[in-house]
Amino acid sequence: MRFAITMFSLLGIASIIGTVLKQNEPYNDYIIKFGQFWFNIFEKLGLYNVYQAFWFLLILIFLIISTSLCISRNSPKILKDYKSFQDRIREKSLLAFKHSYQFKFEKFSTKKIISFLNLNNYKVKHKVIDGGDLIIAKKGDLQKLGYIFTHLSIVIISIGGLLDGNLVFKIQELTGVKQIQLEDQPLSEIPKSGKMSENNLSYRASILLSEGDTKTAAILRAKEGYLVQEIPFSITLKDFKIEHYSTGQPKSFKSNLLVTDKETGKSINKTISVNKPLTYKGVTIYQAAFEDGGSKLDLLVWNLNSSQPAVQMNSEIFKNNELTFERQKLTFEFNDFRNFNILDVIQNDEQKLKLKPTNVGPNFLYKVRNESGQAKEYQTFQLPIIVDDKYFFMSGMRNSPQEEFKYLKIPADHNLSIEGFMILKSLLNDPTKVKYAIDNGIKQSAFKNIEQKKAFELGTRNVINAFIKGGYDFVIRDMDLNIPQEASIIDKEKAIKTYINIIFLISQELINTYKENNKEKIIFPENDSPRFIQDALTAYSDSFFYGIPLYLELKDFKHVQASGLQLTKSPGKPWVYLGSILLVLGIFCMIYIQEIRLWIFKKKGSKNLIVSLATNRDRLDFDKEALKVRDQIKRITN
Amino acid sequence: MIEKIKEKFLKSYFALILAVLTAYAILKFNKFMDIYEIFILIGSTITFSWMAKVWPNFRDLFTSILLFSFISIFLYQGSLEQIELNFVLKYFLASQSAIMWMTALYPLSLTIYWIHLFTKQDFYGNLATRITWIATMIGFVGLLVRWYESYLIGIDVGHIPVSNLYEVFVLFCLITSLLYLHYEEKLKEKKLGAFVLIIITAAVGFILWYTFEKGADQIQPLVPALQSYWMKIHVPANFIGYGAFSIAAMISVAYLLKEKNILVKYLPELNILDEMTYKSISIGFIFFTIATILGAIWAAEAWGGYWSWDPKETWALIVWLNYAAWLHLRLIKGLRGSLLAWWSLAGLAVTTFAFLGVNLFLSGLHSYGEL
Repeated sequence: MRFAITMFSLLGIASIIGTVLKQNEPYNDYIIKFGQFWFNIFEKLGLYNVYQAFWFLLILIFLIISTSLCISRNSPKILKDYKSFQDRIREKSLLAFKHSYQFKFEKFSTKKIISFLNLNNYKVKHKVIDGGDLIIAKKGDLQKLGYIFTHLSIVIISIGGLLDGNLVFKIQELTGVKQIQLEDQPLSEIPKSGKMSENNLSYRASILLSEGDTKTAAILRAKEGYLVQEIPFSITLKDFKIEHYSTGQPKSFKSNLLVTDKETGKSINKTISVNKPLTYKGVTIYQAAFEDGGSKLDLLVWNLNSSQPAVQMNSEIFKNNELTFERQKLTFEFNDFRNFNILDVIQNDEQKLKLKPTNVGPNFLYKVRNESGQAKEYQTFQLPIIVDDKYFFMSGMRNSPQEEFKYLKIPADHNLSIEGFMILKSLLNDPTKVKYAIDNGIKQSAFKNIEQKKAFELGTRNVINAFIKGGYDFVIRDMDLNIPQEASIIDKEKAIKTYINIIFLISQELINTYKENNKEKIIFPENDSPRFIQDALTAYSDSFFYGIPLYLELKDFKHVQASGLQLTKSPGKPWVYLGSILLVLGIFCMIYIQEIRLWIFKKKGSKNLIVSLATNRDRLDFDKEALKVRDQIKRITN
Repeated sequence: MIEKIKEKFLKSYFALILAVLTAYAILKFNKFMDIYEIFILIGSTITFSWMAKVWPNFRDLFTSILLFSFISIFLYQGSLEQIELNFVLKYFLASQSAIMWMTALYPLSLTIYWIHLFTKQDFYGNLATRITWIATMIGFVGLLVRWYESYLIGIDVGHIPVSNLYEVFVLFCLITSLLYLHYEEKLKEKKLGAFVLIIITAAVGFILWYTFEKGADQIQPLVPALQSYWMKIHVPANFIGYGAFSIAAMISVAYLLKEKNILVKYLPELNILDEMTYKSISIGFIFFTIATILGAIWAAEAWGGYWSWDPKETWALIVWLNYAAWLHLRLIKGLRGSLLAWWSLAGLAVTTFAFLGVNLFLSGLHSYGEL
């Protein structure tokens, strides 16, 4: 008993450790968290998967053994007690009971008393001792069995749990029959020691399937590697669907599966979802996760700081593309694509502006890694999103996953396309066109003399060049260099305003010239042109903070999803359920059934009757109960 | 006179009325229920009829809850806009208003229970009990109407309001007070309300903070993992457990005070306190066991395993082991007294961590109620 309680306490402590220390994380995360020294110690102790650790299983086994011993030691006595009537009791000990009463009786009929007791659910025995009558009665002796039920149930549940644990694998791993695989490799190259046969007693394996894919084996995660779990069928994912509530939260994940028996070749087609698994050949298939399954992306790569046209790029999620930019080899790593994105967006709802969750369309996530291995992460939306009543193309950049994305906001043009902005940035980066625009601008202005005109021309050219090379930041930096130190802040602000105005006017000039030459197509907004130009110039200026000035425009995509399935074989389940039923029954017996024993003794020739009651658990209400029984018997014998 | 007729009528026809309503619900709404939910409905009807039979006050509570819920639903006229337009809804019977009334009444009854404790006047005792009944009634109305409201948001959004931390806290207050009221009536002992209502008022404080600070009273649709009939039985069973354990802990506080000669004149006898602690823990234990088992069966269906050592599961096991040990000491070893009282008080800390702390500090599959 003491040993069992120690085991239970250990189990409790170990379990707490398992909840406090996040389990089954990549080992690298643990090294970062604890440092190499503690990492090694914790690993030896198996703290990263406590519940599969050898010592944890050992505790469970000891628990089973000690509880079993407990049962086998106590059961015979309990069963004997259960059957016995305790009829060898003496008068003296009867009188010593806490609930013992003596009273005079008028007429004594064993028959009457027995039938009364039977009516009250007592089991009764009658015995004659030295010519006197002893009636022994008892009820609620199921309570005693409660002890056996509860303890037996713990053993049964633990055995069920062990059946579903990976004890067999643990032994195979220790003896070297099986080895955890650490490298990614094709199924055919995995050695026999890295595979668990389909006869494996129990497992919880996973499969990640892209739409249209078929797989014939599952993966068992183990420590920092994996093993292959062979299964008696193949699974094809025909289709994966996510449904959403109108508020945007996911409503259901559904996988349409084709399960084909390897032996008979027979197939069944079924859609599974969370809470609705499929069981086939003793293996239950669950909907567990989802991710992108390698969506295909058609992209245009725009250099934001040049007049070059865009370059085409075709890729897919989980694929890398390489591109040489400014003599550096950049690697584009495409990580995720989401077709459906819910954001709170201001909507004009019945003449009222309201924040409303809205699907803003697809986005994709990628990293750009330079030769030295540093990467910036980008998140780009395909469609323009409404901000302050205007549409913008949003693309976020961050230097590390801990940061929030900082968004580049490119205004959409008249056709809600990014083309207008791209034309403007090309024009700005075309020196002949810029020179022409400046000349044109100057022509329209009046100057007092040629020096003033020259000075203005030079000033304008410097401002524009600074802007083109580095946005507003460069303009301000140049200004700080050129304007005398003692100039007041008000003067500086005035100058900045003038510069911004110049940049704006030149850009307008560039656009007007472009419009004259391309009359057949409207690209730039007609009625709100200034706002568009301002937004576009802000975006151009911000592009210098975009990490690498390459914008990826998503022209087209083919959405491919992948469904994460879990395959479970759990032969211990029925035992656990059986144990659970027994446990509830046992607790009920122990707590809610009260065992009462009752003796009625009439000594030969005596006019006195002794009524004694006993219960193994003294409760407050038993006092009343005992008095009630006494009074009833008084009444019968009167 | 009317009282008598009402009493007689309800006594004879309560079960029948419930059965008729159930039949009506099944006929009208069977398209929205699967076979298990129909069984749960019938099972609930039987349970409530039985409870009404053995506990007349529960029957009256249930009748009032039904009555007010129906009035409220009638006033909605199928549109959420009525919450703002209709006076009765806005100030009394809309789910949010009803729950706010509940949060006002529980602290009030706590105060009156303390007045009763010190004055020993029956008047205050009866008043406190009555207010607790009303708070419980209006709280249940709030939850039931919330259930209806969720369907008004969207037919696919509708679900039983036991799906997030806000809703289960309301449920916790209601179940705990109902359990307490039962003991109070059975043992004819009103003094302990002053202690039990403390924990309920604490929960009320949390609800208010959660509502006004975090806007947690918003009805959210169910994530796929929760879309199951199991939720309807797993969660309430669990909260009967949590509620009973909390009551046990609060009575233990009274026990320890009495033992240390504090408030001795005002508190019930030690053996009564001890008995009540035992009763609460045993009823809590059996429901907690059942709830954990039901949870395991549900997990086997939704997550692919009856036991995944998820933090919530693991802490449920620790809570279970804790009270199993308590019962062992008392039943097998026959231990009584202050050790067990301290233990049951410590049990509240463990239970609170399992109930709230896991959601706050640990992540896992049960992450429905993050703060």
